[in-house]
Amino acid sequence: MTVLQDWLGFLPQLASGLWVSVVVCLAAIVVGLPLGLALALGSSAGSRALRWPAIAVVEIGRGAPALVVLQVFYFGLPSAGLTLSSTMAACLALALTTAAYTSEIIRGGLQAVPRGELEATEALGMSRPDALRFVVIPQGIRVAIPPLMGFGVLIFQATSLAYTIALPELLGRAYSIGSSTFQYLSVLALAGLMYAAVTIPASLLTDRVERRMSRHLA
Amino acid sequence: MDYVGPIASGIPMSLLLTVLGFAIGAVGGIPLALMRRSRLRSVRFISRSIIELLRGIPPIVWIFLVYFGIGNGLIKVEPVPAAIVAFGLISCAYLAEIYRGGLSAVHRGQWEAGVALGLSHGDQLARIIGPQVMRYSIPAAATYAIGLLKDTSIAFTIGAQEILFFADSQAKQSSDALTPYLVAAAAYIILTVPCAWFARSVDRRLRVRIAS
Amino acid sequence: MAQPVTDPAAAKSTGMDVSLEHIVKAYGEHVVLDDVSLSVREGEVCAIIGPSGAGKSTLLRCINLLERPDSGTIRVGDTTIDAGQEVGGKQLHGLRRQVGMVFQSFNLFPHLTVLRNIALPQERVLGRSRAEAEDRAMELLQRVGLGDKPAQYPSRCSGGQQQRVAIARALALDPKVMLFDEPTSALDPELGLEVLAVMRELADEGMTMIVVTHEMQFARDVSDHLIVMGHGTVLEEGQPEKIFTDPATDRTRRFLRAVLER
Repeated sequence: MTVLQDWLGFLPQLASGLWVSVVVCLAAIVVGLPLGLALALGSSAGSRALRWPAIAVVEIGRGAPALVVLQVFYFGLPSAGLTLSSTMAACLALALTTAAYTSEIIRGGLQAVPRGELEATEALGMSRPDALRFVVIPQGIRVAIPPLMGFGVLIFQATSLAYTIALPELLGRAYSIGSSTFQYLSVLALAGLMYAAVTIPASLLTDRVERRMSRHLA
Repeated sequence: MDYVGPIASGIPMSLLLTVLGFAIGAVGGIPLALMRRSRLRSVRFISRSIIELLRGIPPIVWIFLVYFGIGNGLIKVEPVPAAIVAFGLISCAYLAEIYRGGLSAVHRGQWEAGVALGLSHGDQLARIIGPQVMRYSIPAAATYAIGLLKDTSIAFTIGAQEILFFADSQAKQSSDALTPYLVAAAAYIILTVPCAWFARSVDRRLRVRIAS
Repeated sequence: MAQPVTDPAAAKSTGMDVSLEHIVKAYGEHVVLDDVSLSVREGEVCAIIGPSGAGKSTLLRCINLLERPDSGTIRVGDTTIDAGQEVGGKQLHGLRRQVGMVFQSFNLFPHLTVLRNIALPQERVLGRSRAEAEDRAMELLQRVGLGDKPAQYPSRCSGGQQQRVAIARALALDPKVMLFDEPTSALDPELGLEVLAVMRELADEGMTMIVVTHEMQFARDVSDHLIVMGHGTVLEEGQPEKIFTDPATDRTRRFLRAVLER
């Protein structure tokens, strides 16, 4: 009983933290996904001048932990004369991570488009940009949707790392409640369940979409 | 360049957290994976719930739960054991799912052959199916281990002295906060990118071998 | 019909034929096409037959440069391309505008309806308006007997229907020459017949066609010009009826016996 009463007391603050988490997650995706598509096209481009920089960004973005990227953006960049708010730093850092990971997912999707269809576009005299725009990208994105959804769940979880840069998101709120009430276990458990309440349904949905897609392709 | 030495001194701790967390998961994932395939609905439900909860809650929350949640009230927990326990728990769930993928990749005929030969269920698992599952699981498990190495950076938040911990303290001591973090990023990239390339090429080769 | 000399269509089309000269293509050590030449006149149906691995498909794919020969000359109408030299984008586009192609595996775009499959290339390549392109697509669908299928997705169509859509898609761009790369090989025999019927009709209408095929009946009855290939070279060419009844080389004889007497 007392636990539930405690939780009811924590809930308003945690809910507003959850809202911050969701907004930062969406912002990272909105900025990162188009960048990821650009990187995917860049890293499979014919020209080296395009390909190598794109591959470098992708490997750095995937090789460096999101937590480290967050520290670089929030604590590091001011030394280089660029000071960002914690919200801005969180959005940009997570967008970079999103771009790097989604570019690999999208590249996989683009490569799944059969070679014969590309030959057909050539034989029909369609330009390469047209072939990408009308044939490859629409199909590639479709193949990439389930893994992109899976990644969306991970990047939502990653917003919790922004607690380290003083962003008042869900974990940050929970931690500050914990340090003032010393009921760490209780408040952290509730925060964990709130994360799970978002991620588990999202994962189940992803599984379902994936099954439907694979049925459609067969 | 003055930063490189101190930050590199965190590498052993990062590796230790990765190896021990992975080891716990590699063992703990086995019963979870088997439970996922149980004949009993309730057993399947329980294992599925455990796996979804472990994967659905962010790693940093698990670390806090172990370190502050349990450590604060019930028993005293040091940062490093707390991190190992948290990463171990999460790894159990991820590796269970990887094993499950491996189990379903093993051809049905292998089970049937085991039954036809009169092997006990345990023998089939231990001697016929298990080794094949392990082989199928290697590429995904390697990819997971690489991800785990990066995730161990989270242990810095509770004071485990790994790569990011030292980078952070260097940054706080000097006027240049950017370089130490970039050195830390480079350290992770140097540790993980070659491994990732290696894992991908092993994956490709394994696919070819299994397909042929 | 009465004044063939002054007929503008005929006058314009006098240059409209296809010729390949001294085409060489190798993958590393393996020579796929060894100095192959061929010419096809306007309105002619040319069938290419031969055992698998003879280089038939590669030769066909050289005509619209899906395959880049190592050397040789390709001429389609007034476009001439020297394979040994850099081919400009404009030149390539000019070539492909005149050549339609039908593949063994159809290669329809699975995310587009049948109608859009045919209309989209017209809009992008010829700059036709959507309405114009879709009108033309409907007209062609009716011609290949699929007037009731425009809204269907390719995966809901049989193989024979898909291949007929692919033919309509190529025809919609008003090509001067149509290339067919084993158009019925991926089809059940009865479905193949629908496709062959459409091809026969096209031939009767005077379309210039180059057809790589395993359908001996089609090669014999419909083509005006037969080419037998083996090991990257032309073994024999000429009148189909003559080659079928009295092949000039031993290799041709053995091949024809193998395919006809099974």
